[in-house]
Amino acid sequence: MRRDGARVGLLFTAPFWIGFALFTAVPVGLSLYYGTTDYDLVEAPLPIGLANFGEMAGDAVFWTALRNTLVFAACSVALNTVVALALALLLEQRLRGREFVRALVFAPTLVPISAVAVGWLWLFHRDEGLINAGLRIVGVQGPDWLGDARWALWSLVGMSAWVVGAQVLVYTAALRDVPRSLVEAAAIDGANARQRLLRVVLPQISPAVAFNVLVSIIWALQVFALPLIMTRGGPQNTTLVYSMYVWQNAFQYGRMGYASALAWVQFAVTCALTAAAVALARKRVYARGATAR
Amino acid sequence: MRWSARTVLYVLLAVVACAWATPFLWMVSTSLTPDVPVANSASDGAGSADLSRGVEFLPDLGADGPLDYAARLADQARTNYGAVLASDSADFPRYYRNSLVVAFLSAGLMTLSSAVVAYGFARVTWRGRDAAFAVVLGTMMVPFTVLMAPQYLLFERLGLIGGLLPLWLPSAFGGAFSIFLLRQFFLGLPRALDEAALVDGCGHLGIFARVILPNSVPALAAVFLLQFVAAWNDFVGPLVFLNHQEDYTLALGLQMYQSQNSGTQWNLLMAAVILTILPVLLVFALFQRAFTESVTTRGVKG
Amino acid sequence: MPDGPHARPTLGPTRRALAIGGAAAALGYAIFPPSPRWRRDVPTGRVALRYWEKWASHEGDAIQSVVDRFNASQDRIFVVRVPVPETFTKAMVAIGGGDPPDLVGLFSYNVPYFAESGALIPLDELPEPRRPVREEAYPRAIWELLTHGGRPWVGVNTCYTLALYANRAHLREAGLDDGNLPRTLDELDAAAVRLDVRDTGGRIARAGFLQAVPSWWPYLWPIATGGRLFDDAAHRVTCDEERSVAAFRWVSATAERLGRADSLGFAKSFERSYLSRTDPFLSGRVSMIVQGPWMANFARRFAPGLDFAAAPMPVAADVLDPQSPRGLLEADVIGIPRGCPHPEEALEFLAFTQRPDVQADLCSQHCKPSPMNEVPEGFRENHPNPFVAVHEAIVRSPNATVLPRHRAWKAYSDTIVPAFDRIWGGADPKSELEAVARRAQAEVDRADAARRAREERA
Repeated sequence: MRRDGARVGLLFTAPFWIGFALFTAVPVGLSLYYGTTDYDLVEAPLPIGLANFGEMAGDAVFWTALRNTLVFAACSVALNTVVALALALLLEQRLRGREFVRALVFAPTLVPISAVAVGWLWLFHRDEGLINAGLRIVGVQGPDWLGDARWALWSLVGMSAWVVGAQVLVYTAALRDVPRSLVEAAAIDGANARQRLLRVVLPQISPAVAFNVLVSIIWALQVFALPLIMTRGGPQNTTLVYSMYVWQNAFQYGRMGYASALAWVQFAVTCALTAAAVALARKRVYARGATAR
Repeated sequence: MRWSARTVLYVLLAVVACAWATPFLWMVSTSLTPDVPVANSASDGAGSADLSRGVEFLPDLGADGPLDYAARLADQARTNYGAVLASDSADFPRYYRNSLVVAFLSAGLMTLSSAVVAYGFARVTWRGRDAAFAVVLGTMMVPFTVLMAPQYLLFERLGLIGGLLPLWLPSAFGGAFSIFLLRQFFLGLPRALDEAALVDGCGHLGIFARVILPNSVPALAAVFLLQFVAAWNDFVGPLVFLNHQEDYTLALGLQMYQSQNSGTQWNLLMAAVILTILPVLLVFALFQRAFTESVTTRGVKG
Repeated sequence: MPDGPHARPTLGPTRRALAIGGAAAALGYAIFPPSPRWRRDVPTGRVALRYWEKWASHEGDAIQSVVDRFNASQDRIFVVRVPVPETFTKAMVAIGGGDPPDLVGLFSYNVPYFAESGALIPLDELPEPRRPVREEAYPRAIWELLTHGGRPWVGVNTCYTLALYANRAHLREAGLDDGNLPRTLDELDAAAVRLDVRDTGGRIARAGFLQAVPSWWPYLWPIATGGRLFDDAAHRVTCDEERSVAAFRWVSATAERLGRADSLGFAKSFERSYLSRTDPFLSGRVSMIVQGPWMANFARRFAPGLDFAAAPMPVAADVLDPQSPRGLLEADVIGIPRGCPHPEEALEFLAFTQRPDVQADLCSQHCKPSPMNEVPEGFRENHPNPFVAVHEAIVRSPNATVLPRHRAWKAYSDTIVPAFDRIWGGADPKSELEAVARRAQAEVDRADAARRAREERA
């Protein structure tokens, strides 16, 4: 194969590098610098060393926010993956109307998350919401989904499953790539439907699953708009997620320095979890990529 | 397949359809409900006011006959949606325009720049390419919380705060996801195409413009659509970068409309929600095929 | 090599779809207004000022009428009101970005933070006679709210005090005196018990009084027991002092009496219905509530038949002084951001808003007491809030309490919110408040240290 100089490669990729320097590298560096200062956006930053990072260790709200975010990420990613896989499998069956349902499932991923949040605020309403109105028909008095500290975070996790459309489509594509011959061979060997699913289909699509889980984890660790609009972090800080705590410090408490330090920890946590997920995937994922390339 | 299994599957399909359609229908239904009359239970002693609502998808408009009902429904729609569009606390027509501007510029620039960059990663062979591409993917991990304030201050330094520009300018330099998607696609195009062009005396630019781009229309469309939707729906960007209400996009304007009302008028709020989501859903209906293709292409082959 | 989805014949968008989409977008672009609504209203030749204000609906209309009056009073400046929720968050970012409006409406508790950051233009820089905000024009407590570090930073733009509102029909029905509202906490508790109504399942159908409704001022209650939140002179957080803790013990006792979980659920269910037709007080689901003077406005709008009365907020018997009622006093304020395009013109509007007649007009539209010493004739007599005198007495009372005048207050108050809920749920008030105080004191000390360090550098 012909080799081009690195010059040509860099020339073509130059737009990215310029953007990377301007909008990622410099901000990331600046953010680290702000993390070592006391800063409120208006006055000049005042260097205070590592005090912000030290403060975190003793900041109960920081730990609460971190825990909430990890719980939300773990639960919503797990739930969404299961729901998306189940939907993808269902919609791959030859059923009339499945194209319509597929479009329906995909639709929520297209609309602004702020609109989804406001819509669900109404569905979750204690007295007038659809969910509790429906529950009343079957004689159950539903809880105050977003106002009750025991339910609020789980309500957010639950509604995140309504926005899995994109993942469903990715799994659909992966399912279509599973060679029919493999599935048929397994059937001839006497495997029943459940065994075929667990032993043949799932291993075949595991790269797609791994990729999706990875992207979902990164997304879930940054979750912000949903709790901001729906619960403002309440009740009792049970839905105070990490990004929101950063945002509060930055824009409401005038503590941009502390917010930057917090954000950097978020960055580190994201990197660590991503690395762990990649390592796990390397071990477990059925290596089809090797043959496909 | 056995008859009973098919029945179960159809029931499941119906349940899924309901679960996903009902919230939309409920929002539409609420948006067509009249204001609850002012007279209420305040003065009737026992406070037994039953505020809970039943499940009624067709708003009660006190009409007689379906024709009259339709007329009243249209009337109610005009009232509610008109009230939102003319609202004093949110300028929805203006937000539409802003969203359009941002989404088109952002999607157009993103597609163009990402294509160029993806070409550099897919069809140009150079030392360090894989490491460089890892950096591209790595940018996906940077949380927005790290970037928001420094980016804002950067735009301030450049004198670019006070308009929509901060929302679309970064798209002109490509994005990890789009580059990734296009690179995958370019890798899949037969090398023989390049060779032929090389024989014709084309350089890389010629190959890119005459061979790769014309053969990649579906992938380019996919990137355009995905970025269009992403820009249309972006919430954090406008929240941080836009100072003035006249610059708000729909996604942010809706939030402003919501928090203006301490006593929430749900029917108007739902009308605002519908106004916000309708354009994207229409675009979806129009380009449904391209959309589903776009997402299925995205990142399957990791 | 090519395999997977790329190999399948991929249909791009059809030409027809593209054409329709493009046409729709072009049409949209053509239809939707090219210039912001507010700019279209500005008469040519006038200096346009952007004024961010939080009020919406009829309260927004009221400030608009002030703006209109100003615009009609001269022909050089044209003020445009832009409704912005959470002005203080947006304003700080906009000022930091060098892109602020000309005028911004804030809460008085924002003043220390904005003043210390240098985010506002101080109002004492002009020579004496031209100063728009002068001490002698305001009652003492109001002046305190407009100043920080001895300098005035903002003008007042209505004020409010909190008082007890009671549903008189409910009082009569429970055999209580509807002419004399409870003045002490014991009287309040005794009345509340008689007003509670439970449904057949034992759940609260109507509550006499509960401190969790509304949820807006969970830090209010130490006022009732003679406690305080903050020692302004010593910069010491004092919410864990005995008198303050006593207030939260009283809160906890109410929760215990009503049933902790049930009553919290009851209170939370009103979260998005305050000041609407489903407001707990206006819909008759809570008989007594501590609220601001705007209650009279919303009652007229959503519950015209409601027979209600107002009185100063009840306090512990040992701090009761009928001559000098206690209560929380807050003001809405208006300031000029640093770096704004037209500071001179903005100052002119700000001075206009400080005229006693203008404030009287605005306050009476908002149903609030006047924040000025000079009150035009007929203000009290024609006031739409029949209980404006109650609110006004608190404004002028030496016992009026203002929120801590420290930039860490927002963080401090956000710590009290979950603590209040935990106390309501049964947590020990003393230890909860000690935890709040530790955290808040650390915030205060940190902010003070940074300020000292800045001053040393300068």
